Amino acid sequence: EPKKYRFRTMRQNLVESADYLDDQIESFVPIVQEHYQLSKDDFGDPTIQSQSEIYAVGRIVPDSPTTEGFLNPESLALETSRISGIGRRISLNLTEVNDFSLFCGQIVALKGKNVSGDYFLVTEILSLPYPNSPVSTTEDIQKLYNGKTDRTSKIIVTSGPYTPATSFDLTYLAEFVDKVNTSIKPHAIVMFGPFIDVTNPLIASGNLPNFPNVKVQPKTLDEVFSKVIAPILSQINSKIQVVLIPSTRDALTKHAAYPQDSFNRNILQLPKNFKCFANPATFQINESFFGCSNVDVFKDMKEVTKGGTITLRNRFDRISEHVLNQRRFYPVFPGGIKKKLISSSDSKDKKIYEHLSGADLEVAYLGLTEFVSSFTPDVMIIPSELQQFARVIQNVIVINPGVFVKATGVRGSYAQLSILPANIDDGKLTKVESPDGEVYLHNVWKRARVDLITI
Amino acid sequence: NGIDTLQPLETTVADIERFKDSSALELTCPNCANKFLFGGIIASNFYTMCYNGLQCKNCEHIFSPLQITSQLERCIRSHISLYYAGWLVCDDKTCGTVTRQISVFGKRCLSDGCTGVMRYKYSDKKLYNQLLYFDSLFDCEKNKNQLLKPLYHSGDIDYPISSLNESSIKVLSEQNRDLFETNRSVVQKYLSDCARRYVDLGSIFEFMRE
Ligand SMILES: [Zn+2]
Ligand SMILES: [Zn+2]
Repeated sequence: EPKKYRFRTMRQNLVESADYLDDQIESFVPIVQEHYQLSKDDFGDPTIQSQSEIYAVGRIVPDSPTTEGFLNPESLALETSRISGIGRRISLNLTEVNDFSLFCGQIVALKGKNVSGDYFLVTEILSLPYPNSPVSTTEDIQKLYNGKTDRTSKIIVTSGPYTPATSFDLTYLAEFVDKVNTSIKPHAIVMFGPFIDVTNPLIASGNLPNFPNVKVQPKTLDEVFSKVIAPILSQINSKIQVVLIPSTRDALTKHAAYPQDSFNRNILQLPKNFKCFANPATFQINESFFGCSNVDVFKDMKEVTKGGTITLRNRFDRISEHVLNQRRFYPVFPGGIKKKLISSSDSKDKKIYEHLSGADLEVAYLGLTEFVSSFTPDVMIIPSELQQFARVIQNVIVINPGVFVKATGVRGSYAQLSILPANIDDGKLTKVESPDGEVYLHNVWKRARVDLITI
Repeated sequence: NGIDTLQPLETTVADIERFKDSSALELTCPNCANKFLFGGIIASNFYTMCYNGLQCKNCEHIFSPLQITSQLERCIRSHISLYYAGWLVCDDKTCGTVTRQISVFGKRCLSDGCTGVMRYKYSDKKLYNQLLYFDSLFDCEKNKNQLLKPLYHSGDIDYPISSLNESSIKVLSEQNRDLFETNRSVVQKYLSDCARRYVDLGSIFEFMRE
């Protein structure tokens, strides 16, 4: 599994990227077909003229390849797969649908017809079924807890940057490590990068200071980590498991694309209680499945919405539902980019931008960002620059711990998750009959409490 | 395992030709915020390589090694990020569509009726050459033998007023060897992951299957 992330970067292949994008559409066809009990004949090619109503599965795209950003309900199109419509795209007429939230890259199932050949008139947007939650057997659960059903597990989640944009001051981090050891005392800490953010303005201006407590000054950013940051992190009590998940903005990795290979613990010079996981990563703590992804989908997803019942809802809820629905941690395509206007020559209002950063998607490998075995995680953690939050959406706990330190140096936040042990006798688990006998839904959302705490 | 046999690519192309589309490395002086292009141990109106490192001509600040390597690394990463932005361009001159949309038939142009072929605007070859260019700037042998791509041409506004003689370039290359090796290690970190550096036999023979 982790080996799959170890592909060589910087070799995008357009045909391989397209193969994945095609598969993505096709993989939802059987899901829709089964969920709505449709037959193959109910599906048609929405790009060609027809008098009858059909079902179609495709990707939401802008109706012109040169449109970037600012989309509205009149400027969307549906892209078909190679099989379903020879990859053609057709403009969508959404006037007959009252409530929707759509975004570029979304796979949708639509009902409607194309009477004139010019557009597909949508009469219904079929909601995609949510994937199943993971389950455990009685045996699994008893083995995990071994009778110790009184122990609440405490897990801390933090997300970088860990230094302000105005200095390389690590006082907050040192203070936090101290608090972890003496008062918080968690079982595990999940730390998301960036640990050293290559987009930090001090790096751009060459303004790296001398580090006063270091004998031989670091000569590279990697050495800033091993000589300055690693010694602080290594102070974390060795009984606490620490999981590190990289960011594509981390200077500490040569793998600057998403999905992203894990850090190398030896190169970072960290002790054995540190575990380095890929981005995204799905792992278990006891029975609970944690899905962790470190690309800011909450910031990047630009929805086109219509209707009061949709727009009045919390935006984080809508986006979380999209992620669960689409069964992948970053369903936006093309990925977000951040650029800076450097000049606009007044003659032809031509603007020149400098590229700063982005989602850095390695499209051909996006299959690694899909939910593992098509299960929803019990807890989904996706850090964002936006306001920290913890919400229960479709019985999944969704957490954005917030940044550890704000760019200005103001204290940020972390999330503290307390999960009561799974206990077959206390009624908090739901029994489900499965082909393999009786199994239990974990219902972590019923047993957990999440606090968002200022660092 | 024959299919995984790795071999270096394009080692014979002359650097000046190979780097003709590579962009220069811009450095900012941490002390006076002056920005200038760094082109190795060459004559420049903005910086000198002295025996103890890189010095800003405007304010005489001598860069610490980290003040150079961190800017080099940031510059490499912004190139990689631009590469991953995945801009495509249509090769039909009358169309020339530039987009980040990818058709499920990758190479197909999304403009109505256009039969052009789409390709990545920032190709992996260009990125690979860009990294090799950065590597060459800190290559002592290339500096000594003055094999670097020139930053300026006579007539440029910034064309250096003074010049550097061959023997001082040789001496300065040796005096800055450690500093240059440290910078090269930063470039090598990324070159080592750059898939273009290796070619498997499968892809060499790709054209036979098309
Ligand atoms: Zn200066
Ligand atoms: Zn074209």
